[in-house]
Amino acid sequence: MFEKLQRAFWKALTPDLVAETPSTEPAADAMLAPAVLSALGGAANLKTQQRVALTRIRVQLQDPTLVDEIGLKAAGVTAVMVLAGGVVHLITGLS
Amino acid sequence: MTTTQPLELLAPLAGVLLPLDQVPDPVFSSRLIGDGVCIDPTSQTLCAPLAGVISNIQDSGHAVSVTDDHGVQVLMHIGLDTVNLAGKGFTRLVEEGQRVVAGQPLIEFDADYIALNARSLLTLMLVVSGEPFALLAAATGLVEAGQPLLRVTPAIGAANDAEEEGDALFSKPLTLPNANGLHARPAAVLAQAAKGFKASICLHKQTQSANAKSLVAIMGLQTVRGDTLQVSAAGADAAAAIEALVALLAQGCGEAVAVVAEAIAPLSSATVLRGVCASPGSAFGHVVQVAEPELNVTEKGTGEPPERAALTRALQAAAQALQALQDKASGSAQAQIFGAHRELLEDPTLLEHAHGLLAQGKSAAFAWNSATLATAALFEQSGSPLLAERAADMADVGQRVLKLILGVQDGVWDLPEQAILIAEQLTPSQTASLDPAKVLGFITVAGGATSHVAILARALGLPAICGVPVQVLAIPDGTPVLLDADKGELHLEPAPGVIETLRAAREQQVVRHQRDVQQAGLAAITRDGHHIEVTANVASLQEVQQALALGAEGVGLLRSEFLYLDRNRAPSPQEQAQTYSAIAGVLGPERNLVVRTLDVGGDKPLAYVPMDSETNPFLGLRGIRLCLERPELLREQFRAILASAGLARLHIMLPMVSLLSELRQAREILEEQALALGLSELPKLGIMIEVPSAALMADVFAPHVDFFSIGTNDLTQYTLAMDRDHPRLASQADSFHPAVLRLIDTTVKAAHAHGKWVGVCGALASEALAVPMLIGLGVDELSVSVPLIPSIKATVRELDLADCQIIARQVLGLEEAGQVREALRLYHTATVETLPVVEH
Repeated sequence: MFEKLQRAFWKALTPDLVAETPSTEPAADAMLAPAVLSALGGAANLKTQQRVALTRIRVQLQDPTLVDEIGLKAAGVTAVMVLAGGVVHLITGLS
Repeated sequence: MTTTQPLELLAPLAGVLLPLDQVPDPVFSSRLIGDGVCIDPTSQTLCAPLAGVISNIQDSGHAVSVTDDHGVQVLMHIGLDTVNLAGKGFTRLVEEGQRVVAGQPLIEFDADYIALNARSLLTLMLVVSGEPFALLAAATGLVEAGQPLLRVTPAIGAANDAEEEGDALFSKPLTLPNANGLHARPAAVLAQAAKGFKASICLHKQTQSANAKSLVAIMGLQTVRGDTLQVSAAGADAAAAIEALVALLAQGCGEAVAVVAEAIAPLSSATVLRGVCASPGSAFGHVVQVAEPELNVTEKGTGEPPERAALTRALQAAAQALQALQDKASGSAQAQIFGAHRELLEDPTLLEHAHGLLAQGKSAAFAWNSATLATAALFEQSGSPLLAERAADMADVGQRVLKLILGVQDGVWDLPEQAILIAEQLTPSQTASLDPAKVLGFITVAGGATSHVAILARALGLPAICGVPVQVLAIPDGTPVLLDADKGELHLEPAPGVIETLRAAREQQVVRHQRDVQQAGLAAITRDGHHIEVTANVASLQEVQQALALGAEGVGLLRSEFLYLDRNRAPSPQEQAQTYSAIAGVLGPERNLVVRTLDVGGDKPLAYVPMDSETNPFLGLRGIRLCLERPELLREQFRAILASAGLARLHIMLPMVSLLSELRQAREILEEQALALGLSELPKLGIMIEVPSAALMADVFAPHVDFFSIGTNDLTQYTLAMDRDHPRLASQADSFHPAVLRLIDTTVKAAHAHGKWVGVCGALASEALAVPMLIGLGVDELSVSVPLIPSIKATVRELDLADCQIIARQVLGLEEAGQVREALRLYHTATVETLPVVEH
């Protein structure tokens, strides 16, 4: 609490020095349709999700082996790129 | 082109096809670079779509092009705006020039890193050589790496690439503003524009050149921000092409560039343009814009032996011309500059470079031009302002020889009377060939107060300002202007009254100067009988002789570092001793010789005293600090100076002293050397007062020295914390500031309290306006630049010590430099008005 107050003070005094905290990501559920979420192994398998590179949704999974590529394509994902470290790119095209 | 066999291009990646029109980047979607396909990749290795040679691979690894044996050229560009990643996330697997087979891996990339750090992964495959093609897959949908994707029909004969041979026009060198160099996007814009001209057009970076109509060739130059580029063109519309492309490059080729390029803005309503004073004085005259003629350089030679002979002849002729200029130079500064130019002609790297190009069948003009441009660019990029200014010297020498090769008569300018020259930059050669009877002053956009042009202007006694906004180049020839170099101002619409006053003042000045020179032998004694010693600031034996002829009573500052400025190695002890003895011998036992020990440092490097570059050389190892760091250098110099003991009244002066311990250490070394030489009497030892700490502690220093000499230039910049060469601050970094004057006052009081004398050897002593104030503050000696000795002596003779003391008290209490100058001007007017009565 004190730290927050101090920060606000600093911000008021030196607007250039304290960066705006980045706005939080848009609501998670809007990004992934239920069918997509289930083809990724369900909400429990999902660590993070993020829109990247104009055409992709990047997700980090607990267990990447649970990915059902056919299910993803059926759910409207154009292509899937499985990368190291549980990272998967879902190519959804230009919005 | 010998074949019309269709060629299949393989998909370089697995991924999702996207029509080119939909790519969210207009450079690609507009097909500016070329037509092709876009793939959103699902694999991480880019493979060759066809067999051929890697015609270009960017250092940053995000783009590669392959050209097959029939000239079909395919560019692949991984991701959008990936040039900003500067190579991170990409691994190049092939080298430029390498032959590859279809399907061979070319670049590996980290798709996740790029997705997280760049705008997009969308990858382009474009047929940049322009052949038509048919898509072998559905326009959208998935493709596998290596699957046939496009069928290209090679064209029968290329229509547009007929090489226009002939004399090429070259643009002026320009500096590339684009943050990431000419990568695909700006390169495409440039190539597109170039294709609009019939002329064959080349873009040059140092010795490399590229067809400006070829996107890949431009990218192949691997340019970076700050590169010096030139555009050349040959053909009917060459001049128009150069003009258009230079403008485009300056504007960033469609990219926003941080530095507003040197587009010449129309002259605003402002009637005063400001710069930095390079040489004091003022003049009214008419504008003459100086533009170098464009030289036609043919790239191809007529055979190696004749071209080699042509270069050798031109180099010899240039060396002779420079020798002649050196011999008739009016001052040692000028002579030194032309001497340095002559040395550049013999520079082995430069010659090797030129001969290398001759061996490749290039013409003498092309080889020499390329070699000098490359060397000048090296100087410019060195990061050292001093070396950067030497780039102008290199360019000057380059032009001199080039004109000789091409048989171009060096412009003996047909100047009108009362010319005020305006140039982007005047070369030392141009400055030296000016007819001082016709030229009244000059103004340059480039250059600083340390540039050779500034030095030469001072030697010629012409007013000059530099660092003036580029708009000055747009002033039409013949425009009447008033150049007030003292204030660093150029007045565009001077009022007739002002001009008349100035003209009358100028005539008076001429008369006065003649009288002063005639009376130079008279002592500098004020009307109430107070003697001021007027001595000279010199840097060579020649200057000592000139100074004595102009009435100098001694040498108040011998800048010892200048004696060996052009040397690569330290002069031998014997040679040093001879030089000092020769100077002392000319002066004789009745005159003072004040030798300042080596005053070098990061800001004024000496070739044979190598030192690391410093982030802030003015606050680094300069002057005595450097000498104490390398005591052997100081010991040797002391020994050489002491060899002249007895020939003149020898004084040794230490520069940049800020601590008492520095003086103590130096004195110890001096005493040690004097003892070793068996001298019974030590020379006088003094220090420069140029650091505020020394001025403030002058009462502490005074018992340990024989004299002080105030270096007003450095004292001013250290007191006001303003760089004297800073284009914005130079006008405020004024030695007339009361803060500087108070330090002079403190120094003189402390010295006199201990019976020691004080001189001023900085530029302030050479300003007639400052003389009454300095005398009033009690300064005993004025050491001035050689040409000004007669006028400073004459000024002293017009003064009254009692008056000077009053004016000095008065100015110490003022608020700023401008007020001090104004007060002194009023005082001067009052004195001058009473003078004719005294004289006639």
